[in-house]
Amino acid sequence: MSEAALRKPTGTFLVLVSHTMRLQLKSVVIWGGVLGLYAAAIVASYLSFGDPEQMEQIMSAYPEGMLEAFGITDMSTIEGYLAGQVFNLIPLAIAFFPILVLSSAIAGSEERGTIDILLGNPIPRWQLVVGSFVATAASLLLIVAIMGGLMYGTAILTDIDLDFVASVESVVNLWPISIFFGGLALLCSAIFHRRALAIALPGFVLLAMYLADTLGRVSEDFENYRDFSVFYYYASDGSAITDGIDWAGFFEVSGAALLFALLAIVVFRRRDIYT
Amino acid sequence: MSVAIETEGLTKRYGRKARGIEDVNLVVAPGEVFGFLGPNGAGKTTTIRMLLGFLRPTGGHARVFGLDVRRKSVEIRTRVGNLPGEFALEDRMTGEGLLRFFARLRGVGDLGYAHELAERLGADLRRPMRRLSRGNKQKIGLVQAMFHRPPLLILDEPTGGLDPLVQEEFLDIVEETKAEGRTVFFSSHVLSEVERVCDRVGIIRDGQLMTVEPTHALVDKAFRHVILTFDGPVDREPFEKLRGVENLKVEGPRVSLTLHETPDEMVKLAARHRLVSLEYERPTLEEIFLTYYGKTEVKEENNE
Repeated sequence: MSEAALRKPTGTFLVLVSHTMRLQLKSVVIWGGVLGLYAAAIVASYLSFGDPEQMEQIMSAYPEGMLEAFGITDMSTIEGYLAGQVFNLIPLAIAFFPILVLSSAIAGSEERGTIDILLGNPIPRWQLVVGSFVATAASLLLIVAIMGGLMYGTAILTDIDLDFVASVESVVNLWPISIFFGGLALLCSAIFHRRALAIALPGFVLLAMYLADTLGRVSEDFENYRDFSVFYYYASDGSAITDGIDWAGFFEVSGAALLFALLAIVVFRRRDIYT
Repeated sequence: MSVAIETEGLTKRYGRKARGIEDVNLVVAPGEVFGFLGPNGAGKTTTIRMLLGFLRPTGGHARVFGLDVRRKSVEIRTRVGNLPGEFALEDRMTGEGLLRFFARLRGVGDLGYAHELAERLGADLRRPMRRLSRGNKQKIGLVQAMFHRPPLLILDEPTGGLDPLVQEEFLDIVEETKAEGRTVFFSSHVLSEVERVCDRVGIIRDGQLMTVEPTHALVDKAFRHVILTFDGPVDREPFEKLRGVENLKVEGPRVSLTLHETPDEMVKLAARHRLVSLEYERPTLEEIFLTYYGKTEVKEENNE
């Protein structure tokens, strides 16, 4: 073997990322399609409501606390309607894409027995961690893009006046909160050798944070708990579709996701790999 | 480059109760085919995975081509082709897709040798992995380990699941690899394949390296199971007096024994009678392991 061939190959990171994205492509289409169809259905359902006054009447029939708990503030516009019906709840669903994928990156690969074959190649461990994170983050962007496309496309087809910029901001704002839990799953995947734990822990945190934020909205006694919930930073000043992205929150949550990924590198570098 | 693999006091402990390996000292020269033998759970896979950087040593050192396994694992894997003992391949991928991916990772531009290996081993590169049998996955595992012509092949039980013809082809490839000056380090349970290709063997048991010696010495040292059938009953006493005999059973015309010496004396004794058949069986590796562990199975003699 020539000396040139014995040199550490370059470009393995991009190869790893593109390969991982290729493997995720089918899931991206399915997730984006399903979530997009849900959002499209909600858009289409807006047609069933008559004038805005009718909407206000419907809302007045519900307790204010309950409406606040689910982020339903204004249903008289399509943006307000989508804020309550889609973007308040959809992080609970979309976050499971990166959780499932990134829990599989290390712990899942160990359990399946594929990690030895992969790491038999000259790939530094950190590239496996970061490559999985970057590929999943990119795939997540594709998912929200598909979702946004189906949602906005339905609005056009049904002649509903949905603001384009608001639509873009609403789906883009799903990215940091989702990748936050993905980063946590990646860290758990690096720490534990079991994929089930790497799913269960972030899943639990996801639901606990949602609950903390919801309780904080409805009760002053629990208001301080909202600070510990990433959902607060997701929609601190209202939903992105009605009030725009809170960029401070966007970058804080994204930063936390990156921190999880960095910790995952540190943890995975040191530990044994079991199959 | 003086050595391909070198370990000094290499130790791995899994907590207080579980044993890994203890104080393994091993040297494998470049261009050598080294057989690493041991029963299940002996520590073969632990040793191999430490060489590749998958497990961190608890104590001691290991170097591959002079590179420390802890600090230079990526550089080592550039020079190594690895076939793990237990592995899985991505279900949705084909063998071709996997090889292309690995070729890009390794900077290998031409898959000609990969296709040649696949053809020789009968590996189907076009079907998704989930549709392949264990043997076919093993073939793809071998191809991915060897296609980039690495200076060192580390193969953990490479012939598991392969049919005899493919095993022969694999052994031919190992001999070609050696002829090219490259090194092969592989673990095995099969004495015949070890005998055919290995220059030296190391035997590990209960985490400790029991011995390292040339293959012919191991094979020569190994005992034989012998069954002699005569045309009539024979006297037991002369056979009892033979040197190196254990587990002697004389049942009428049939004599069975384990012989630890050369067969000359036994054959001359047998020649005094009319011999109808002679079976001269080599031991399994498991039996050789038991011998080195010192717990040679002793079949109780029937006092007849």
